[in-house]
Amino acid sequence: MRVEVAGTELELMAERAAYWPERATLFVADTHWGKAAAFRANLIPVPGGTTESDLARLTSAILRTSPRRIVLLGDALHSRDGRSEKTFQSLAAWRARHAEIEILLVRGNHDRKAGDPPEGLGIHCVDAPVIEAPFVFQHHPSETPAGYALAGHIHPAVRLRGRGLQRATLPCFHFAPGVATLPAFGSFCGSALIQPGPADRVYAIADDEIVNIWRR
Amino acid sequence: MASNRSRKTINDWFASRGWKPFPFQKQVWEAYRKGESGLIHAATGTGKTYAAWLGPLMEWMDGDGEAYPDLRVLWITPLRALVADTEKALRAPLKDLGIPWRMESRTGDTRQSVRARQEKRLPTALVTTPESLALLLARPEARQQFRRLQMVIVDEWHELMGSKRGVLAELLLARLRRWNPLVRTWGLSATLGNMQTAAATLLGNRAEGARVVRGLVPKTVRIDSLLPEQMDRFPWAGHLGINMLHQVTGAIEEGATTLVFTNTRSQCEIWYQAILEARPDWAGLIAIHHGSLERKLRDWVEDGLRAGTLRCVVCTSSLDLGVDFSPVDRVIQIGSPKGVARLLQRAGRSGHRPGETSRITCVPTHAFELVEVAASRDAWKAGAMESRFPVERPLDLLAQHAVTMALGGGFQADDLLAEVRTTYAYRDLSGIEWQWVLDFVTRGGEALRAYPEFQRVEVTADGAHQVTNRQIARRHLLSIGTIVADAAIDVRYVTGGRLGSVEESFISRLRPGEHFFFAGKSLEFIRVHNMVAQVRKAHGEAGSVPRWDGARMALSSELAEAVRTRLDQARAGVFEGPEMRSVRPVMDTQAKISAIPGREELLIERVETKEGHHLFFYPFEGRLVHEGLAALFAWRIARLRPITFTMAMNDYGIELLSADRAPLEASLASGLLSPANLAEDIPASLNAAEMARRQFREIARIAGLTFTGYPGQNKSVKQLQASSGLLFDVFVKYDSGNLLIEQAHREVLERNLERSRLGQTLDRLSRGVVRLLDIERPSPLSFPILVDRSRHRLSSEKLADRIRRMSA
Repeated sequence: MRVEVAGTELELMAERAAYWPERATLFVADTHWGKAAAFRANLIPVPGGTTESDLARLTSAILRTSPRRIVLLGDALHSRDGRSEKTFQSLAAWRARHAEIEILLVRGNHDRKAGDPPEGLGIHCVDAPVIEAPFVFQHHPSETPAGYALAGHIHPAVRLRGRGLQRATLPCFHFAPGVATLPAFGSFCGSALIQPGPADRVYAIADDEIVNIWRR
Repeated sequence: MASNRSRKTINDWFASRGWKPFPFQKQVWEAYRKGESGLIHAATGTGKTYAAWLGPLMEWMDGDGEAYPDLRVLWITPLRALVADTEKALRAPLKDLGIPWRMESRTGDTRQSVRARQEKRLPTALVTTPESLALLLARPEARQQFRRLQMVIVDEWHELMGSKRGVLAELLLARLRRWNPLVRTWGLSATLGNMQTAAATLLGNRAEGARVVRGLVPKTVRIDSLLPEQMDRFPWAGHLGINMLHQVTGAIEEGATTLVFTNTRSQCEIWYQAILEARPDWAGLIAIHHGSLERKLRDWVEDGLRAGTLRCVVCTSSLDLGVDFSPVDRVIQIGSPKGVARLLQRAGRSGHRPGETSRITCVPTHAFELVEVAASRDAWKAGAMESRFPVERPLDLLAQHAVTMALGGGFQADDLLAEVRTTYAYRDLSGIEWQWVLDFVTRGGEALRAYPEFQRVEVTADGAHQVTNRQIARRHLLSIGTIVADAAIDVRYVTGGRLGSVEESFISRLRPGEHFFFAGKSLEFIRVHNMVAQVRKAHGEAGSVPRWDGARMALSSELAEAVRTRLDQARAGVFEGPEMRSVRPVMDTQAKISAIPGREELLIERVETKEGHHLFFYPFEGRLVHEGLAALFAWRIARLRPITFTMAMNDYGIELLSADRAPLEASLASGLLSPANLAEDIPASLNAAEMARRQFREIARIAGLTFTGYPGQNKSVKQLQASSGLLFDVFVKYDSGNLLIEQAHREVLERNLERSRLGQTLDRLSRGVVRLLDIERPSPLSFPILVDRSRHRLSSEKLADRIRRMSA
C-alpha cells in the first residue's frame, strides 16, 4: 500500500518492510537475528529456522521492489550469545545472493551489546541519526528537528475491535506527526500495543495484506 | 508381644488427653506394623494425622529405641502454609512421651542455617512439600541420607492427585521406594468418589491389595442460604454478591467467629473492604487471608483464628485445608461452591467441638446460584461425591524430573525408565516417548540437533546421565515446581515491608500515584524497581483491586446433574425448599421470555442485540465440557460458510456470538450435534480456537523453555524471554514432531475437556429434542454468559476481511 509521508511516498509491505521508491531504499526494523540461537546458546532448546525464514521474507520484499539499498533501523543482532556460526552462515549465504545491494545499519540498543554484524557481510554500521531529507533514520522513535524520523524499537501492534465482541491484535506501521515506527521484522519477537493519537495513521498487517486502520 | 508395650504407652497418652483411639486408627497402626501401605480417607479434623504418625513411633518404641536416629519419617504436605501446624501436631506426642527424635521442616522459607545443617544430616522426621523434596533429591548425597527412611506420609492427597504436583509426588515416591523397597507409604485424603484410583496413584505398582481405610463418618452438616430480600431486584448475573452485604454482616454478628469463603482472591479483597466499610467498628477484629499475601500476614491471621481473637476472616481456598480452627462456629460461602466435596470441606471448618453441627450458609451472587445451593443439598443427601482425575504421563514433568535425577547423582537410562514406569502416571509410557524425553534433556531434542556442542544433561562413557554445567544446574533448581507462577511481582512498602505479590499485568496498568486495594489496605503505587512494586499507604479514595488469573471453578458433573433435576421440577411447577421458592419469580420470567429447559431437550435461544447475533445452547454439563462443545459447535457451523464467532460459556450453557446471523438450521441438519467424526472434529476445532496454544504456557515453564529468572538477576535474563505463545508457534512451524506440542493437545482434550464426557454429552443431546426459540431479549439464563467478556475466538474468515469491519 502506497502512503504519502513527509512530502514523499512509502510503499508499506506485508513482509513487514517499507519501500521508498524515490531513493530505491527498503526499510526494515528490529530483525533481531540470532535470537533463537541465543536461547540455544543458553541451552534452551528452541528450534532453528527462524532466521532463515525471516531472510526468505526479506528476499520476497527485495524481489517485489528491487531496492538499491536496505536500511536496517536498529537491533539487527539480538544479543552477544546469539552470534552463532550457523546464524552468520545463513546471513552470509543470503548476502552473497544479494551482493549488489548496499546495506546500512543504524545501530539500536541491542546492537550496542550484541556488536555489529561480521564485516564480511558488507553491512555498513553507523550510529543514529542518519539524516537524508525528508527523513531521519534512527532506532528510537523520538521526534527530531532534523526531519521526519523513521524508527523501530517499539515492535508496534494495534488492537482492533468489531461487532460481535471480535478482537484482533496485529503488527502495524504507526505514523505519528513527526515519527513513523515500523513493525518488528523478526518473527521470534514479541510486540507492544500502541495507543495511536488522533492525528496518527496506523496500517495493520493482516496475513498478506496491509489494512488501513486510520479514521474508520 | 513387644507391640503391647507401645500400644499401652499410646493408649495411656490418649487417655491423658481424654481421648480413646478410634478403631480406624488402630487398624492403620496394625497394618503399618505388618509392613503395609495404604490410604486413609475422612473429613479433616477426625484423627487421620495420628493414625498415620503414631505407627512409626510405636515401631521405634518396640525396636531399638535409638536416640536421634537418621531420617525415618517423611511428611509431604501440598501447602507451605500447613507446615507449621503439622509440625506442632506431630511434636505433641514426641514431647509428652519423651521420644528423642529431631523433627524439622524444609520449605522455601527454611532459614539458611537450618538448610546447611540438614544438608549434612537430616532430622528423624521431616515435614516438606513435593517441590522442596525434589530439591533435596537433586543432590548426590540424597541416597545416603534417605537410606533408613521407613515411612512417607502424604497429606491432603486428594488435593495433589489431580494435578501435575501430584505426578511430581508420584515420581519422588518411586525414587524413594527404589532406594529402599521397604518404605511404607500412607496417604491422607478427603473422601472422593474414586478412592481406588486415589490409592493407585499414591502407591503406583504396589497398589494391589493396598488398604483403603475409611476414617470417621462426617458429622452432621447444615446447609442453608441467605435469601435476597427482593427477588425482583436481585441480579441475573454477577459474581461479587456485594448487594447481600447487609445480610452477610448480620450473619457475622450472629456468630462468635465466622469464616467468609470467597471463590477468588479479588472477590476476597472486595468483600473485606466492603465489610470494613459497613462496620468500621470491627476494625482489628476482621482480617483477610489469601494465597498471594505475605506469609507473616497469613500467620498472624491464623494465630488470631486459633486464639479466637478475630470475629471474622474473609478468605479463599487458602483456608480450605489442614489446620483446625476450633473457635470457628459459622461458615459463609459467597457464590456457589461448585461441588459437593468443596461444600462439605468448607462446612467442616466450623463446629470442631465434639457433638457440634457444621453449618455452612451460602450467599448467592446471582439468582441461579440459589438453584445450585438447593441442588448441592440434594446431591449431598443422595451421597454423591466428586472424583478427582489424575494427570496421565505429562512429558514436560518427566523431562524436568530427569534433569533433577541427573543432578541427584546421575542415572542410567534403563534404570530410570523402569523406575518411572512403577508410577501410575507413567505406567503406559512408551519407549518412543521415553527416548524423546531423554533426547530432549540431553541434546535438546530435534531443535538442537544441529548444535552438538550443546548438552544439557551429559552422558558419560558408561552411560551415566549427569549435569555438570553449573548454569543449567542453577536454572533448573530455581525452576523446579509445577505450579504455573504467573509473572508475579512483589508488593513492598518503600520502607521495605513485604505485603505479598500480584500479577505483573495488573501493576503494568497502574500509573505512579494511582491507588489500589491489596492485602486489605489502600495503597499508593510509587514505582517498579527490580521486579518489586513499591507502595506506600494511601489516604483518601481506594482504587482498583488486582485480578489474579486463576482457573475458574467448574460445576462438578454430580452437581450439574442435580441442577438439571431441579430445573426439570421447576418446569413442572414444583418449587421445593426456600431457595427454589425464592428464585421462582426469575424462573417465571425465564418461562415467559423463553422456556425452562427440560431434562430430555436441548434448549437453544437465538437473539439479536446491538452486539450482534447470539446463539445460546444449554447442555448443563459444566464449564469444562462446555469449553470443548463451544469450540466444536463454532467449528462445525463455520465450516458451512466464512464466519467469525466469539464464544463464552458458564456451567449452564454456551454462547456463540457473530456479527452476522449464523446458519444454525443448516448446521443442525448437517449434524451439528452428532457424536460422529469426533476424533477428527475435536482436534480441528481446538486448534481453530487456539486452545493448545494457551495450554502450552504451563508446559513451556515446566519443561524449562521459559523461566521467571534468577532472584536479583533479572536484567541478563531479559534477552532470553519469549512468550509461550511465540514459542508454541515456532515449535509448530519448525519442529512439528515435538511431543510437548502433542502433550498440549492431549492435556486440552483429557484434562480440560474430558473427551469421554464430551462424547456422552453429544450422545445425550443428539437423542433428545432440540427446542429452538427466537426470543426478543436475553433471558435470565443467558445473562451470566452474555456479560462474560473473557472469550475464545474461532473464525473461518480471511483475516483481512475480518479486520476491514473492525476499528482500533
